[in-house]
Amino acid sequence: MARTENSGRERILARIRSGLLTPVVAHTPDLSSGSARPMVFAPIPDALERFQRECAENNTECIVTPDAKGSAEIVAGVLAALPVGEIFVQDAPELRRLAQAWSPSRAIRWSNEGAPAETSQATITLAECLVAQTGSIFVSSKCGGRGASVVAPVHIVVANVGQLVPDLETAFARLRERGTASHNSFVCLITGSSRTSDIEKILVLGAHGPCRLVTVLALHSANESGGGPAKA
Amino acid sequence: MSTASREFLRNAAEKSADLVHRQIIRRAIDHYNQAVERRRARFLDWQEARRRCQEIKREAVIHLDRYLLEFERRVQERGGQVFWAETSEDARQYITDLASRRGVRTIVKSKSMVTEEIHLTPALEKLGLRVYETDLGEFIVQLRNEPPYHIVTPAMHLTRAQVASLFREKLGDVISDDPQYLVGVARRELRHAFFSAEMGITGANFLVADSGMIAITTNEGNGRLCTTLPRIHVAVAGIEKIIPRLENLALLWPVLATAGTGQPVTCYNTLIGGPRKTDEVDGPEEFHMVLLDNGRSELLADREQREVLHCIRCGSCLNACPVFRTVGGHTYGTTYPGPIGSVLTPHLRGLNEFQHMSYASSLCGACTDVCPVKIELHHHLLQNRRNAVNDAKRPLVERATFKLWRWAMLNAGIYALSGWFARAAMRIVHAVRIEGTPLDPMRLWTKYHALPSVPAKSFREIWRKNRGAN
Repeated sequence: MARTENSGRERILARIRSGLLTPVVAHTPDLSSGSARPMVFAPIPDALERFQRECAENNTECIVTPDAKGSAEIVAGVLAALPVGEIFVQDAPELRRLAQAWSPSRAIRWSNEGAPAETSQATITLAECLVAQTGSIFVSSKCGGRGASVVAPVHIVVANVGQLVPDLETAFARLRERGTASHNSFVCLITGSSRTSDIEKILVLGAHGPCRLVTVLALHSANESGGGPAKA
Repeated sequence: MSTASREFLRNAAEKSADLVHRQIIRRAIDHYNQAVERRRARFLDWQEARRRCQEIKREAVIHLDRYLLEFERRVQERGGQVFWAETSEDARQYITDLASRRGVRTIVKSKSMVTEEIHLTPALEKLGLRVYETDLGEFIVQLRNEPPYHIVTPAMHLTRAQVASLFREKLGDVISDDPQYLVGVARRELRHAFFSAEMGITGANFLVADSGMIAITTNEGNGRLCTTLPRIHVAVAGIEKIIPRLENLALLWPVLATAGTGQPVTCYNTLIGGPRKTDEVDGPEEFHMVLLDNGRSELLADREQREVLHCIRCGSCLNACPVFRTVGGHTYGTTYPGPIGSVLTPHLRGLNEFQHMSYASSLCGACTDVCPVKIELHHHLLQNRRNAVNDAKRPLVERATFKLWRWAMLNAGIYALSGWFARAAMRIVHAVRIEGTPLDPMRLWTKYHALPSVPAKSFREIWRKNRGAN
């Protein structure tokens, strides 16, 4: 375990403890107790519909496909339109399978070979989960590393509807259940492509990160034998 | 009157008369207001969201020692180093020493107000290091060699033409003032810095106690690159940034984005816990967390103003403040401008020198109404005024005037006589046309405002007459 000893630590803690002994004057009533609290957000009845609507609003391209095969074709189509150059792909069995459908001429750097190069044309990763409430994607270090979702001009996320949760609260519960935060040094909620409004409040996409975020969402996950759509 | 106060008054007079500046700010804030209104409508109950955020921050602050120690332990378990800085000087020293020891030459920074507070960049530049601000707004104001104008929108005061002209002067060939093009110029310029920097420095919007992770909220992706590419990551944050649980972010992220920029959530909400793990593809080899006190722990002992430590630095009180909109961010001359800056700065830098900031408010309460963690900002401004009168020296003339005023207010006859004199004086000033001239005793007011005509009768006379009629 790393440690840094410094003399200020004890003095700061002593000041905090002594400060906390002071009783404070509350200007607003404390409403933390009491029975039923009002809801903050409206419930989300249809997660897929909401996810698609939010993606449209935040400039994420969301393409729904019937299954993994359909997703492979969509990814191949997106890649075909990109300039010549290497792409970076998370080293995962699902993506290894999908890669067989892509153009053999496209050089692939897999995440087990190292971080994405500065010149990568696109990165392709999986996601931890998708959040309908905000049209967002949760990724972690396991999804090809920290740079995989930010270095290239195009980030393609391959996911399935089974990964879709209705809201952020459920997403955090899922991350907790899976130990995502403790197993990774990096977790990120991505909502749309990189942007800035720093000049006259005018929205410009692709500031330092990707100009395009493409989510390819299969209705059936690769593990399913072709039954009903995965439950969101 | 303190030097800071004199400068504030001079700059405020200049900026409030600058109509172009006022138009730029009005346009930006109108745009922001529309976005916020739309995003607030996404909440079923915005007031309940504010109450819950207030409770999260209150819980964090009333157990600050416990949560900080938990956070420290978790960061260390993740292989990170934690440094507790009592003062700005301690924090600067730690980071400059680290940069020297590790042979750092280039540093990329993502937007962080706390690094502005501790004046970190000049200290690093003094060592001969190249420091790049990588948030577009920060990059622009760095090129202009000026501090951020606003805590969320650092270049709010500039037009695209000014940015284009700046880039042309500092970066070479710039052929358009189209924002898309200008963003491309900055992206290309900073790309090389990201890939060559040995150290990335960030702030943190939240320090999550139960997971030992810091949460960084950005839109551009520069914060992500600063925490991915360099081999050392240094995060600096005030001790009050702590929150108890990771799940708290399910509410704090949307509330911060709604209040800060009028977005449902920002583009990148990143959680960083220590350096890269051995089985991870990329990320820094070292992670250093600098926890800054710099006067915050003393604020805990303030029975009226402890809640100022709940602030999540969304900047919404700046946008709502009629004084900020008129005098602009640079006029304050402090790291934190606007209502929150006016409340906080006297605590961080001394009430005597910065007492004037408590008066840079109409006490309209708009700041309190918009604060997403329900800080009673305008009450605290009033308390600072009271404290300034009790603790710090006020000018003799002011003290004498208020004594006289009090005496008159407690004596009906004297009050009536004073009113008669005041009306007579105003009529004379009006009749001899000296309004606004150096001879006018009310010049400070009449220089910029037209006085209404003085009514023929006082309220008392009208009251007496009407009561007699009834």
